[in-house]
Amino acid sequence: MIKRGRGMACMWYPIGFTVAANPSAATVKVNTDGTATVLTGTVETGQGALTVLGQIAAETLGVATDDVHVVSGDTDTTPMDTGAIASRTTYVTGNAVVLAAEKAREILFEAAAPLLGVRPDQLEARDRKIQVLGFPAKYVDIATAAKHSENVLGCPSIGSATYNPPTVAMDPETGQGKPFSTYVYATQIAEVEVDDETGQVEVLRIVAVHDCGTPINPMLVEGQIEGGISMGVGFALHEEILFKDGAQINPNLTNYIMPTSLDMPELEVELVDNYDPTGPFGAKGAGEPTAVPTAAAIMNAIFDAVGVRITSLPATAEKVLGGIMELQAS
Amino acid sequence: MATRTKDVQTDTEELVTATESRAPAKQPLIVPADQPVAFPLQLPEFSARLKTPAVGQRATRPDGRLHGLGQTQYIDDITFPHLIHAKVLRSAHPHARIISIDMSAAEALPGVLATLTGKEIPVNSFGPTLQDQPVLAAEVVRHRGDGVAAVAALTEQIATDALELIKVEYEPLQPVFDPLEALEDDSPKIHGGDTNVYTSKVIKKGDVEKALAEADHVFHRQFQTQAVEHVPIEPHASIASWDANGRVSVWSSLGRITLGREDLARTLDLPQSKIRLIGTIVGGNFGGKNEITNEPILAMLSRKTGRPVKSVFTRGDEFISSTIRHPFTMDYTTGVMNDGLIIARKIRLVLDGGAYCSWTATTIGKGSILAAGPYNIENLLVEAYAVYTNKTTTGAMRGFGAPQVCFAYESQMDDIAHKLGMDPLEIRLKNAFTEGSASPTSQTLQSVAVKESLVQASERFGWKEWQR
Repeated sequence: MIKRGRGMACMWYPIGFTVAANPSAATVKVNTDGTATVLTGTVETGQGALTVLGQIAAETLGVATDDVHVVSGDTDTTPMDTGAIASRTTYVTGNAVVLAAEKAREILFEAAAPLLGVRPDQLEARDRKIQVLGFPAKYVDIATAAKHSENVLGCPSIGSATYNPPTVAMDPETGQGKPFSTYVYATQIAEVEVDDETGQVEVLRIVAVHDCGTPINPMLVEGQIEGGISMGVGFALHEEILFKDGAQINPNLTNYIMPTSLDMPELEVELVDNYDPTGPFGAKGAGEPTAVPTAAAIMNAIFDAVGVRITSLPATAEKVLGGIMELQAS
Repeated sequence: MATRTKDVQTDTEELVTATESRAPAKQPLIVPADQPVAFPLQLPEFSARLKTPAVGQRATRPDGRLHGLGQTQYIDDITFPHLIHAKVLRSAHPHARIISIDMSAAEALPGVLATLTGKEIPVNSFGPTLQDQPVLAAEVVRHRGDGVAAVAALTEQIATDALELIKVEYEPLQPVFDPLEALEDDSPKIHGGDTNVYTSKVIKKGDVEKALAEADHVFHRQFQTQAVEHVPIEPHASIASWDANGRVSVWSSLGRITLGREDLARTLDLPQSKIRLIGTIVGGNFGGKNEITNEPILAMLSRKTGRPVKSVFTRGDEFISSTIRHPFTMDYTTGVMNDGLIIARKIRLVLDGGAYCSWTATTIGKGSILAAGPYNIENLLVEAYAVYTNKTTTGAMRGFGAPQVCFAYESQMDDIAHKLGMDPLEIRLKNAFTEGSASPTSQTLQSVAVKESLVQASERFGWKEWQR
């Protein structure tokens, strides 16, 4: 008989990593047509980090995402970065990009202020313009400001900066301290069907609600969540490296079973409205936490469906059926 | 602001149906030849990439179009004149002393241009926190994925054939595979010394024993998780090219090039200014590409041959010689009052570290700090130990220990709710962090959204109305 169940799991996850310093540096250059280039030592690993860093620079300079080109991943040309690890890029590298872009923007403000007859601190960068705060009709185009600054005043608009999250070392005896600057939170709820004659589990639906602070690009956050859930489903039900005398016996994709699109449940993804004052424009991060609560939610749904508490992953049909038979015997 | 997947679908559909997003109609998008030509994208006016303010826009990725058209250059797509190929021989034993390595037959194979053993590597050790891992094992192999020798040849096939001609004499040592056995006094010590525990962590708050004695209910259960692999679509790959000025350029699928260059400089004993490390577009990382693998080997082989040297892991290499996720053994003891309030939690974590440390320090740190869950618990004790075994090295993988402990703490939350007859949502809301809560390390938390996520997810799921 097919039995249906539901289970939830919530989680928290830090942004960045412990043990060592966690710095990033960045350089932002504004071209004389108002477009810009970002230099970062991080690497695009498929998550869309370069798009997000470009959006962060664009926001600071008041231009559009497409106006910014991001150069990355070359130790000869790009500044130091701790790397694409630990869900740190949006938060740490992103903060470095904000600081670098602010320095470049300051040069534009210095150039634009006399043209507009105001002080630099009375200016803002918005909609590809440098405009007077509270008087948006008084403005110069960002291209005009950049050209004037570089070609007339001889001050190219460029800024470099670094960011390292403030932390407090943990006491070795008690572990007390501030190991991370900030954390994200999430809840996932799974609905499953369990065949009580075979132990086979099918995940029908997962609702995932994640906090990442301000989503710099909601579409990319949702992509991360969907991908993270697929890893979580594999961790929960399918994937396991098997060893015999220290040798892996299934080091191939024939015998190491990963979820395919056919194994994926219906996904419903939402973001929590949140803002972290320490992140770039309130952002935190989204990479790893998306894979954290999935397995726990599925295990709780299996428990709800058939009363079997799985204590070792993955929840193979054999384990689930073994649990069902144990319950029936007792 | 709640964003829903259906919005994505609408956006994507708009993009697909918008003729502005396509290349001019009469010209082919790709010409039928070896060299595909894609016309420059003209973004439709509604494109989020063109809008200000930039933050919050559902901007498409410039690399996405290149991926879709097959124009992204991964390492395997990159080639150079005179490029040769390297392969690494892996250990035949999980734990053994290397008596001798005879490369003569491999070197005599036509097409083989150079070979390399660990003794030739200037500083033959690396690791992000503990440099306990050899680039190529020279004296002792500690798991089946350890490399013992490398060959560079004109083709991948010749290099593969040459590996079979390498004669390695081993003296097998007693292995240990089970992390709990590895903890025992009489277990073989994989890295010498008197223990296989190579890092540990304690988080202590309040008086956990006293609170457990005072609790209305005490729950105990042991949970275990398995070893899993990152399985990126693109396996680890790199190319090294040593030029006549003694400067080496390395193209790599590494996710962190600044530290990769530090590791290369150390292992090759070269100034960092003599090394250029280029991080190519990575075809999936998930934590598995955070440290060097074959890069120093390729650099040495390039120096020997004067040619650029490439290696791309097979799927088998990827499984056995790159890092995997730490299996955890987790003992959870939790003290709860009749109303569902958790007053104490005692946790013991044993991490199966495999043969080398790799990213264990971060994994044990995050695993321990997060182990109690996003809950206000006054009395807490977490003790965690990472232990060497003669199995595949464990390292960074999406979540650094968090998926393992979340499986344990959230499974136990439902055990507690079930026993007390409470709704799983209610017991979580009763104990969850709120803005300003103190974390297990007594950090004051900001921008806390665990209750918000619980409530929002329950509403979206229809938790209250749900029927079996």
